[in-house]
Amino acid sequence: MNKTKHTRRFAVLINYFSIVVILVLFYLVRLLGLNPIFLAFEIIPLITVVLSFRHAFVKTGIWKMTYASSKKLDEREIQVVFKAMNISYSLFAITTLVIIYIFILSGLGQIDAVLAVCLLYIAHILPASIIAWNEKE
Amino acid sequence: MYNRIAVLRKERGLSRKELADKIGVNFQTVGYLEREEYNPSLDLAFRISECFDLPVEFIFSTKPMKPLSEELLNLKRGV
Repeated sequence: MNKTKHTRRFAVLINYFSIVVILVLFYLVRLLGLNPIFLAFEIIPLITVVLSFRHAFVKTGIWKMTYASSKKLDEREIQVVFKAMNISYSLFAITTLVIIYIFILSGLGQIDAVLAVCLLYIAHILPASIIAWNEKE
Repeated sequence: MYNRIAVLRKERGLSRKELADKIGVNFQTVGYLEREEYNPSLDLAFRISECFDLPVEFIFSTKPMKPLSEELLNLKRGV
């Protein structure tokens, strides 16, 4: 595996890990009834999300490629984006379904704004993540 | 599918970017084509053959291709 691909994959992992940290911190504060001042620590994973997003998707041009008009892409890129969109649609549907079931079964109640925002963010970065993970150059 | 794109490009002293611009694709796609990790459409295959001014069957093949030097030698020997 070349260095570029390795660092890109690492940035993708960091990005997702930071989202998980944001959610875990939020639910720890909420469920354990901790002082809301702890939520200030969310700024650290939030910065990591921004930095890893920039490194994995913006600098590599993958973000632009994912949401570019098909007229601006060549035939291979169109195939790559189409495949990534297909996979992410299935992945996102399954993930959302699992989360909803977890919330219903564990009695956590409704999905709140933080989780909804995280899910929306994931829905947007999933195709780019799949491309960033699989592309060789 | 096998191809001779890498050899022909180097022979003509073109960079991947230059070839990509000529055939209307991204330079990364040229890399994928050269490594035989992506099979071009018929349209792209013809654009490549036009760019190199060679018949399409000389650039692409479904069987592994012999080195150009070997083919030249065979031609010279009349094989």
